[in-house]
Amino acid sequence: MDQSTDAQIVARVLRGDAELYAELVKRYRDRYARYAMHMLGNREDAEEALQDAFTRAYRSLARCEDPERFGAWLFRILVNRCRTIGARRGRRARTFVSDDVALYDAAEEHPAERSAWREEIERALSRLRTEQREAFLLKYVEELGYDEMSRLTGAGVSALKMRVMRACERLRELLSDVHDDREVRVERRRPEVNDAKPS
Amino acid sequence: MRNLPESWIHRIAAELRRPVRLDEEFDRGVMDAVRAMPRHRQRPWTRMLRARTITVSPVVSGIAAALLLAVALSAGHFISAVRANRATGRIDVATDRSGGTKPGPRRSVQFVLVAPTARKVQLVGDFNDWDGSHQEYHAQHRGGGVWSVTAAIPEGHHRYSFVVDDSLWVADPSAPRVLDDDYGVPNSAIVVGGGDATQ
Repeated sequence: MDQSTDAQIVARVLRGDAELYAELVKRYRDRYARYAMHMLGNREDAEEALQDAFTRAYRSLARCEDPERFGAWLFRILVNRCRTIGARRGRRARTFVSDDVALYDAAEEHPAERSAWREEIERALSRLRTEQREAFLLKYVEELGYDEMSRLTGAGVSALKMRVMRACERLRELLSDVHDDREVRVERRRPEVNDAKPS
Repeated sequence: MRNLPESWIHRIAAELRRPVRLDEEFDRGVMDAVRAMPRHRQRPWTRMLRARTITVSPVVSGIAAALLLAVALSAGHFISAVRANRATGRIDVATDRSGGTKPGPRRSVQFVLVAPTARKVQLVGDFNDWDGSHQEYHAQHRGGGVWSVTAAIPEGHHRYSFVVDDSLWVADPSAPRVLDDDYGVPNSAIVVGGGDATQ
């Protein structure tokens, strides 16, 4: 893996070493694929948005004001590509990720149960309004501060706080049954573990 | 609606934070698109000549400003913006905004926004690279919540927006809307030409 900083790679790409751009793609593709996947709800659109973001970033690389923060600049482009692709898709039903278990880390204690749990989350996420889903993902999943979210989205801080709050309320509403079932299953499993202990 | 504990939202976020894996096929797709585009051919010194913000002492800033002015005059170039921020001792030097990428005559255009609670309103658009920091794009409060700014805009089609209090992007309610491909937020559209335009 190339140990160069983002700024060093950007400088070399700008001087004509286009192949080195692959290193930037490798660095950011998985992390940003996560956002695109959650935002758009399916792998096909997510890959399109991400590929679009990478190629636009390459084309405009000379306009990247702070190459040391190439990742943040790229993310801004991706957020907007997700908006554009989501809007272009119009009212077509948002499919939720239900068959992407292979995309995640496989080391899980209860893969089937966990898959179902993730599926419920994705289903609930797909039922949020676009701006609420975006705000929730930026705040809780990407762990951005409100000021940065504001710079990224163009929305005011108070509006973003409201969107996050509404998103949380809606998720609680949509997932409360799943939460109860999951708690019951966890409770049932505990005595089995205790029984297995040698007396 | 049943209330779920706040920690549950964090558990949802933790689940969504799990990485999504894309394979090398994705990288190949991006790099094929990159290779199909013209290579960057930036000279090593090009980035040194681009507009940037530097921080110097007030004395040095005065000397630097004088030198820059002398260089600019002797070279026959027009430097449209040399901005000194006396409060912070910071000086921003911006290269020619008068038409490097937007040649042709300019026309005086007045932009108006009613924003009663705003403390600051700036005009941004493709004519200033979406950077409203220069004084000439700062709107003045005319009383009654009415803000206006008159700026010299190159003839042609433009997209623009207002930035209120450094964070909220507001499209001009009196102008047609257009979705910005790069930033995903609705902007306003204007055609400048054929006599002085007033928006």
